[in-house]
Amino acid sequence: MRQSYLLSGALALFLASCQLVEFSPNQTYVPVAERNLTSRNLRQLATAGPSLGDTVRFVFVGDTQRFYDETEQFVASVNQQRGIDFVLVAGDISDFGLLREFRWVNQRLQRLRVPYLTVIGNHDVVGNGRAVYQQVYGPLNYSFLYKGTRFVCLDTNGREYGFGRQVPDLAWLRRQLADTAARTVVVSHVPPTDEDFDPALVQGYAATLRACPNLVLHLSGHVHRYTAAQPFHDGITYLTTYSLEKHRYHILTMWGHRQFRLETVVYGAES
Amino acid sequence: MVQRLLLAALVAAPLATFASPFTPAAPDTVGTTPPASRNQAPTESLPWYRPRHVLAQTGGGLGMVSVGAGYSLKDRLDLDILIGYVPRKYAGSRLSIYSAKLLYSPWTLPLGKTQKWAIKPLMVGGYLSYTHGTLNDEEPNQYYRGYYWFSTDTRVGPLLGSRLSYALPPTAKGRARNLSAYYELGSNDLYILSYVQNMKGLSPADILTLSLGLKLDI
Repeated sequence: MRQSYLLSGALALFLASCQLVEFSPNQTYVPVAERNLTSRNLRQLATAGPSLGDTVRFVFVGDTQRFYDETEQFVASVNQQRGIDFVLVAGDISDFGLLREFRWVNQRLQRLRVPYLTVIGNHDVVGNGRAVYQQVYGPLNYSFLYKGTRFVCLDTNGREYGFGRQVPDLAWLRRQLADTAARTVVVSHVPPTDEDFDPALVQGYAATLRACPNLVLHLSGHVHRYTAAQPFHDGITYLTTYSLEKHRYHILTMWGHRQFRLETVVYGAES
Repeated sequence: MVQRLLLAALVAAPLATFASPFTPAAPDTVGTTPPASRNQAPTESLPWYRPRHVLAQTGGGLGMVSVGAGYSLKDRLDLDILIGYVPRKYAGSRLSIYSAKLLYSPWTLPLGKTQKWAIKPLMVGGYLSYTHGTLNDEEPNQYYRGYYWFSTDTRVGPLLGSRLSYALPPTAKGRARNLSAYYELGSNDLYILSYVQNMKGLSPADILTLSLGLKLDI
């Protein structure tokens, strides 16, 4: 018995020192349990419970970057909400694209009672952040269907790729939006109205969204504040949300064809 | 970034000239060098640029493996230059990390009666590192000035550690040689900033790194 305690103690110490012996702050290596969180969390979402009706209700929040104290308060607040399906984080999970930052954020967000999903932000692409994101969360572009709603999450951090007309991947986006049966939400970090969005792709992006008859909203972060507008005057609403430091988040409820309701929650003390 | 490394090397150069204390000794005293003078008192003068030791280590944010050479001043101040490597499997791309460490150890305590073993209980200092080979390497004109206020490839950080030495037989020319094992606890500018702004959420242990290494006098 004592031997097994000793053994497990030694193992814990060994594992802890493995984490300590960091080859580079830019490294991507994480324990298996902390990999592919997007598909893990989607599985958790799929088995969360019977999906009654077609109403989907989720928390939408922006940049968690370097706001660890605030993230803990955020988790405490969301865990008090009733009837939330999941939490959507609009990118900039990290500030410096470093592995430890991603882990610090996940250690806090995994205490949410509901699964959380993310989209990659420009700060997450810094250094080797892109590879870290792929290791920790998974693909940079992905979509999922939940309660009759298609969520399309994609990388729009054009500046990080030198505005090479590759990001966002419009061909991929068109394929996702071809599912005309489902109510659709597109989520990205940098909104197309921002100077960090590849200027050569702005019109093509807007046109792709315009062509989707079931689009409810386009959701983004990056600007750290709430904005809502129809910048292309085409009936498509582009919404941005607060960063964690603002002590505010949104709850979005969607039902019917394109109906939605937006609530703002204020929590914790503003510092 | 490369300029910063050059700057570090320039700063290091005058230190290195001091690193060879000129202690003239008649050749016939070579054989009688007492064990107490194990602390790198060279019996012949070495050119200033000649490294006094080589080293290899893992971790500390300076590579999966990093190797280098360095200089010593009075067995108290060590300047080490290292080249580190992280394979693609662990970082998403192959990283080479160039670093300089400066460590001050005020005390050397002999262990046991044989004078073979000694410990430096405290080494305190810092490092500067430059990482080459990141996926997103800040191309010219990619960002406007000040877009990211921090450098994505240059890190600085404090170091704190200890070192255990074993006296090897002296060289043919009578210079004492040690083989040492050391550990260093460290952190970096970005981790420290993250901690300072999140004292409730993060603990000092969250931002620590550990390096383990060997150092051989040559």
